[in-house]
Amino acid sequence: MSGMMCSSNSVVQAQKLVDQLRLEANMERIKISLTAADLVRYCQDHRRSDPLLTGIAASSNPFKDKKTCVLL
Amino acid sequence: MACQGLQSGETLASLKKESDSLKKKLEEERGKLNDIELHQVAEKVEMLGALSIKTKRLLKGHGNKVLCMDWCKDKRRLVSSSQDGKVIVWDAFTLNKEHGVTLPCTWVMACAYAPSGCAVACGGLDNKCSVFPLSLDKNENLSAKKKAVAMHTNYVSGCTFTNSDMQLLTSSGDGTCALWDVESGQLLQSFHGHTADVLSLDLAPSETGNTFVSGGSDKKANVWDMRSGQNIQSFESHESDINCVKYYPSGDAFASASDDSTCRFYDLRADREVAVYQKDSVIFGASTVDFSLSGRLLFAGYNDYTINVWDVLKGTRVSVLFGHENRVSRVRVSPDGTALCSASWDNTLRIWA
Repeated sequence: MSGMMCSSNSVVQAQKLVDQLRLEANMERIKISLTAADLVRYCQDHRRSDPLLTGIAASSNPFKDKKTCVLL
Repeated sequence: MACQGLQSGETLASLKKESDSLKKKLEEERGKLNDIELHQVAEKVEMLGALSIKTKRLLKGHGNKVLCMDWCKDKRRLVSSSQDGKVIVWDAFTLNKEHGVTLPCTWVMACAYAPSGCAVACGGLDNKCSVFPLSLDKNENLSAKKKAVAMHTNYVSGCTFTNSDMQLLTSSGDGTCALWDVESGQLLQSFHGHTADVLSLDLAPSETGNTFVSGGSDKKANVWDMRSGQNIQSFESHESDINCVKYYPSGDAFASASDDSTCRFYDLRADREVAVYQKDSVIFGASTVDFSLSGRLLFAGYNDYTINVWDVLKGTRVSVLFGHENRVSRVRVSPDGTALCSASWDNTLRIWA
């Protein structure tokens, strides 16, 4: 850190980092016991409409018809 | 002049001290909320049965590694891009190739379908992201209608349209993300904060508002406010490059895939990592992730040519999908959740259902 320009650049960067960290530190956070319960609830609420999870009948899945692969 | 140098030195030292204490405070705050693990909350959730997911379509046509793909909202078309500059639009039901464009650059690492289904965006080593309108006239030369929208100073790693065809969000090897107006090519907002290449981005589901998440070679995943350009949250728990980030369907969390061979799950409201998807037998880097419609399953593509299917809530692996003969570069669940598309360095794409 010899030149003056060098120092002020690092100061600007360091100030930016401090500002960013201050912002993040002030964030309002919620306990995992609450947020995780919401994540679980979302999965459960939507599980019946998740075809890859429940597997849907070949008749209603357009990809499941008995079609051979065509090599183009 | 000598005393100015001394002032900078002192300020630098005090700033460093403050940033160190803030980092410590952040860790403490996050630690306070860790009152339970996700898999513990999920204990009463029923175990998943065996999944019967198999390859239903094999899309052959690319002459080189397929690097990216994206579904159209119509749930049947998709666009894919490859190392040799080719971009192909497919009808996944019929395997018909509807459009093909050759870009003048190699390694087209990013491609995206416009919400209207009338255009595609793609970019890569040309440091640009271009938009092509899709014409119904097969004879029309699509290359002629190409419009360069995004201009970065290094490769484009990811792109996505926002809620309309009018705006494009890109991530780049130049360490930034950017929001562009498609019509004018104007830069609307740029996002600075990553200290190395940004490798991936994902837009929050429309209900949750104007944010997006990005992941990069600096091992960080950052959440951004699209309007202000502000980095609102940052997560650093991976031990290597983050290759892909994807939001959980509710928008309250996101997953990441990394070269450290793990995928991780981050809760945005608790502001911390809540699950790590890993196995001793999984030692190759993970390049891509996507959730099933309900968010219960996480599909992850790896450099060992497989796709692992993880139970997001319980943290266990449910299934392994074999078939590709080289690295899996991208996995995407179709818009109605009926199928998974995977793109690979083996020059093919597969549709699993």
